[in-house]
Amino acid sequence: MYSKNLMIKMDSLYKSFGKIKALNNLNLEIKKGELLGIIGPNGAGKTTAIRITSCILKPDSGDILVDGNSIHQEPIKIKSMIGYLPEEPNLYERFKARDLLNYFAELYGVPSNEIDGRIEELLELVGMSSRAEDRINTFSKGLRQRIGIARALIHDPQILIFDEPTMGLDPATSNNIREFIRKLKGDKTIILCTHYMDEADLLCDRVAIMNQGEIIDMGTPEDLKSKIHGEIILNLKLESIDPPAALKIKEFSTVEAVDTDGNQYIISLNSKDEIKSILDVFHGKILSVNTKEPTLDDVFINSIKT
Amino acid sequence: MRFSIITKWELKETLKSKKFLTIFFLQISVLFLMIFIFNTFAANIESEKGISITPSLSGFASLDVDDQGHLFSKYINPEIIEVKNYSYNNSLERLKAGQTTGFVFVPEDSIEKIRNIGTINIQLYLDVSDPKRSVIKDEVNSTTKIMGDSISNSWVDSIAPQNTTPTVNQQNTGESLPLQIITKAMIAILLFLPLFLFGNMMIDSVVGEKERKTGEILMAMPLSTTEIIIGKSMAVVGIIAIQVALWMSILLLTGFQIISPLLVYMLVFITAIPVIGITVVIAAYSKNYKEAGIGLTFGYVLSVGILMVPALVYLSNKSLSSNISPLTMVIRILSGENIPIWQFLIPLGFVIIVSVIAYWISIKLFERDDVVFGPRPGLIRLSLELVGLKKRRKTL
Repeated sequence: MYSKNLMIKMDSLYKSFGKIKALNNLNLEIKKGELLGIIGPNGAGKTTAIRITSCILKPDSGDILVDGNSIHQEPIKIKSMIGYLPEEPNLYERFKARDLLNYFAELYGVPSNEIDGRIEELLELVGMSSRAEDRINTFSKGLRQRIGIARALIHDPQILIFDEPTMGLDPATSNNIREFIRKLKGDKTIILCTHYMDEADLLCDRVAIMNQGEIIDMGTPEDLKSKIHGEIILNLKLESIDPPAALKIKEFSTVEAVDTDGNQYIISLNSKDEIKSILDVFHGKILSVNTKEPTLDDVFINSIKT
Repeated sequence: MRFSIITKWELKETLKSKKFLTIFFLQISVLFLMIFIFNTFAANIESEKGISITPSLSGFASLDVDDQGHLFSKYINPEIIEVKNYSYNNSLERLKAGQTTGFVFVPEDSIEKIRNIGTINIQLYLDVSDPKRSVIKDEVNSTTKIMGDSISNSWVDSIAPQNTTPTVNQQNTGESLPLQIITKAMIAILLFLPLFLFGNMMIDSVVGEKERKTGEILMAMPLSTTEIIIGKSMAVVGIIAIQVALWMSILLLTGFQIISPLLVYMLVFITAIPVIGITVVIAAYSKNYKEAGIGLTFGYVLSVGILMVPALVYLSNKSLSSNISPLTMVIRILSGENIPIWQFLIPLGFVIIVSVIAYWISIKLFERDDVVFGPRPGLIRLSLELVGLKKRRKTL
């Protein structure tokens, strides 16, 4: 059933490259105006999924409906609705920044009387107005990524697809790019593929975790984090592990799980109430102690493990 | 019509490139060089001396001669073999010492023997350890034959001078037929040459998209594969059209006669379409420049063969089927033949058929994500899949 509130509906997608299964019954729904993050290890199928959505690849079977249009029936219409930024900002090296945007504006069918204004606006948005007449081959990766974003936005698309937009960029440039994405949030439907959990946590309305070509978990960052045992994780580093003491602390009512990592205990708690009592059990043997709240990293690692 | 956007920008960026402009004008300088070489060649052909296309063998092998009556030595060609006069004994010693390759001994009484209608015995000594002996042997045999013929003719003339063949004084006017054919064929070939000078540009335009990974963005554009392929091809065809027009103008300005230049231009121009079509097939299939380079060599040898072989067939027996090649038609136009209009349909039809097939294959290849992004199926399997004899392989 296709809801009017849905922008993208991926339905039973399968895709293989030779003997490698890239997508294995992928089902995913993205609402209008939503920013969905897709996280997953290398080879999880994230890029394949977004390339199929962008009508660059064809699935072996299954379909994607974009605003009600099938990728099999209306690929050209769908392409004109999407602004796609691939992982590598592969741009035509010999072009000047302004010419490049002009070229893509014409290809997207932007009316000729609007092109110049649109280019100025986008160059301003990505902070590249002063470099408009420079050739792409003189730009650093960060600057190319900015021009790439401007290129993806040139036709004012309803949907934006970003594949690892901050990959390999320095922290300052990454923050700039995240800021652009944040500005666009709400106005457009955005799919953001990323390796960076903090990026997904910071920007996304919902996060889908992909592994081996399928979605293994999905929800808001908060929902996903709450699925991790406990609200707090207590890390205790000891001189050596102490199994009798570990058995003892499992009897505490706030303790949900106890894991070991070398001479370290990782204790998931559903409240802070009994922390002092737990520390008393290991009295005299503790080398260091710290507490942290679960992050998407923990969710991701936990999901991949299970 | 969005293919024209790609064509426009490809042309614009190419014509702005200094590297391209350098290559473009270097090609024109090559044309000037060819015109110069051809004019020198033509001048030599037309001169009394003619032109020698055989390299000189002077000094290659030496031959000692003991010919007291100067019967043999006046017929031998000194440009081929270095002839040295030595006595019988000296020559044999030189031969043994490896200082000469051969030795010819003509007996002193040979002239006397000829006068008495006797047989003369010329002796040839060869150093069998010297591989150049075969050259000496051939040259001595041919000189002996020339000498024999000459002596026979002199003898016939001396006994019956009235039988001497009357001499014909030749006055040459106009251009010799071989030179005429060479000139027309050369102009035609020169006009078709630019078709094969821009293959790398086409390869760069398509394979470059794969290697630089810009193809991913292009394929995300609201364009069909047909528009992408046609747009890129037309840019290269456009460059070829400019170069052919320039070459034709230069040929006309340097005094070459081109009959019906517009018709000739159109024939060359339409031939660029299937030639570039074949190049796009190679580019669409190739994973990288190296592979495309190998494919391009093969494709162009095939294309040149398709153009040249019918043209050569036409020059030898004027068969109708040889008109399949536009080059044949251009040679015929340049030769001033009256060609019925329907005969133009033969090369035109051929060009259209090859173009449709080539562009269809290119589009089908470029549509396939396994060909563009990999893993690419083998050539045989891919061919069978394209013609529908096998279904595309899917894991599920």
